[in-house]
Amino acid sequence: MTEKKTHRIIVRPTGVELRAPAGASLRDLLFEQGVEFPCGGQGRCRGCRVRVLEGTAEANAAQRERLSPQELEDGWRLACQCSLGDDLVVELRQWDAAILVDDTPFHFEPRPGLGVAVDLGTTTLVAQLVNLSTGKVLAVRTALNAQARYGADIMSRLQFAAAEDGRATLERLIRRQIASLITHLMVSAKVSGDEIRDVVLVGNTVMHHLFCGIDVEPLSHYPFESNEIGLQTFRASELEWNLNKASTVRFLPCLGGFVGSDILAGILATKLAKSLENVGLMDLGTNGEIVVGNQSKLYCASTAAGPAFEGARISMGMRAATGAICQVQVEDERLVCQVLGNVAPQGVCGSGLVDAVAAGLEIEAIQSSGRLGNGAKEWTLAEPVVLTQNDIRELQLAKAAIAAGSRILLERLGTSLQDLKMLYLAGAFGNYIRRSSARRIGLIDLPIDKVTPAGNTALLGAKLALFSLDGEDGSYTELRCRIEHVPLNADQSFQDIFVEELAFPSSTHVRS
Amino acid sequence: MSIFDELQQAIIDGKAPVAKEVTERALGEGVRPAELFPNAIVPAMNEVGRRMRDCEFFIPEVLIAARAARAATDILRPLLVGDEEVRSAGTVVCGTVKGDLHDIGKNIVAMMLESAGFQIVDLGVDVPPEKVVAAVREHGANVVAMSALLTTTMVNMKAVIDALAAAGLRDQVKVMVGGAPVTESWAQSIGADGYGKDASAAVETARSLVAAA
Repeated sequence: MTEKKTHRIIVRPTGVELRAPAGASLRDLLFEQGVEFPCGGQGRCRGCRVRVLEGTAEANAAQRERLSPQELEDGWRLACQCSLGDDLVVELRQWDAAILVDDTPFHFEPRPGLGVAVDLGTTTLVAQLVNLSTGKVLAVRTALNAQARYGADIMSRLQFAAAEDGRATLERLIRRQIASLITHLMVSAKVSGDEIRDVVLVGNTVMHHLFCGIDVEPLSHYPFESNEIGLQTFRASELEWNLNKASTVRFLPCLGGFVGSDILAGILATKLAKSLENVGLMDLGTNGEIVVGNQSKLYCASTAAGPAFEGARISMGMRAATGAICQVQVEDERLVCQVLGNVAPQGVCGSGLVDAVAAGLEIEAIQSSGRLGNGAKEWTLAEPVVLTQNDIRELQLAKAAIAAGSRILLERLGTSLQDLKMLYLAGAFGNYIRRSSARRIGLIDLPIDKVTPAGNTALLGAKLALFSLDGEDGSYTELRCRIEHVPLNADQSFQDIFVEELAFPSSTHVRS
Repeated sequence: MSIFDELQQAIIDGKAPVAKEVTERALGEGVRPAELFPNAIVPAMNEVGRRMRDCEFFIPEVLIAARAARAATDILRPLLVGDEEVRSAGTVVCGTVKGDLHDIGKNIVAMMLESAGFQIVDLGVDVPPEKVVAAVREHGANVVAMSALLTTTMVNMKAVIDALAAAGLRDQVKVMVGGAPVTESWAQSIGADGYGKDASAAVETARSLVAAA
């Protein structure tokens, strides 16, 4: 009897690990993971594109026809045309849909020429090409950050950067990827690089350093502070970008610790620094960032919330894509789950997780300690999707980190959450989370009319910065003087408050 | 319910005032301090460890249980001096490595070890290797237990092992490591003697390292 060789496939970003015999079709394997095949797996469209990050998958003639040589070289394949011949790590293209772009109307002072705004996230990139005289967005591109193959979160990215050539590799990858995004923007808007006057990038401190070529070693250990957090300016030519020779590329300054210019941009977008009353901004992701304050003083911090909000490290967690339970409600003491794409449920995304736990607390399937009722090990949301006890613990860790961070900043400001006039939620998760559920689990203890989903405030802020470059060089010196970064890890009370915040509010908790 | 069971339950339930009261009552009834460890405190903390491993208990429940255990041991420790029946299980120098400030996990491990009869020298967080070396020398420690919560700081565990070797102490002391990003294979790759997946596993590891020494 001959034993058939099996291979291992790791699917990003869900982290699912599969095993299958050599020769198995990637189409069958990935279909079960929620990947859709718009042309039915005939190799006639590009809808099922996946990117092979590790291992080899042969590209057949159909793929050479549909994919450019550059795409093939970058590891792109059509899942429907690949059979398994190696251990693989693949990244699913279809999750791109979850990346939030910005189409918020905004006020601007017209300037001649075109500009590009880039939100450089740890996970995702969004770039918009903007006509600076009309304010019109001419084109938009999104992508998963190419550095993500060397670590999904910022700590593992820092670890990779510490190895020989690691930082140079990450720098080269991201500079090239953004150059390519800008080229795509120009092609789809049918404009030439000569017309582009300015590029503004925003991102957290690690993204800032890795793009700008600054040593990230100080960010890898306590006190997690770098001295080189200011505005970084480049000529397009020194980056070897195919733009007007006179055009300038600016990476806006960071605020301190891991809090970067994406939050500075968020402050610009939500006008926090112009508010007479106390207001706040929260960006919930693997690293949760919080800002609270008013026109005279703002406090900001970042807190390691873990990946629960993005569906990672949750046993059946997934990104907000087809097959994800995105909403859970209680009707007549029964759970009603809404599934993206109206297909059979395959997993749960961040907003679904928060909803599910809120519902579980409501019907007492989950105790306020976080323990599943009756000592159960797991709790079925909708067959076959379950939440395990450990999933709930992961959410408790994430929400406690955010809640503890907010409390400490509000104490600094001398106020309480209830006295905030408005709290803005930035980013994709903040856009989709049900505010009443966020309140029920104790993540944000505010009535829903005091919480505003604000979309991709980093991108909007980067666009606003593009329009203000005639009067402001992008260093935002005066504004940054009013923003103080609070290092939470050095705060004596943080761990005590964190432990206090681990439990969920009990059902007798006053709610409006 | 025997008085041992009462104390055990008070610790598991995290009721520090009850634990204190029961301990004092037991002593008043003539129970010897040394008896309360094997019959109440150690089994209680074993049970807490089991519940933590099975996800029944989470960090808050473990911390309040450990606090209740401490309410009992704070009364008992001073009474144990000179008691021949109670031998320390060993001396453990513990801390979170340089560059890292996370201490909840390290504190839980320290409290579990303490309830299991170990003498604890807790060096706190952001601990440089030299400080570990000095503490091992000063206290004649059997075990060094290092914690790290970040992939970027766990490399400093190796620095501790190297410093112990450079000081000529590596043969006298066992090194165990733990923390969220730490794995068994990482522990082996840096030359550690043991690894604890969680706090109750850490107690087992410490016991077996001392027994093997």
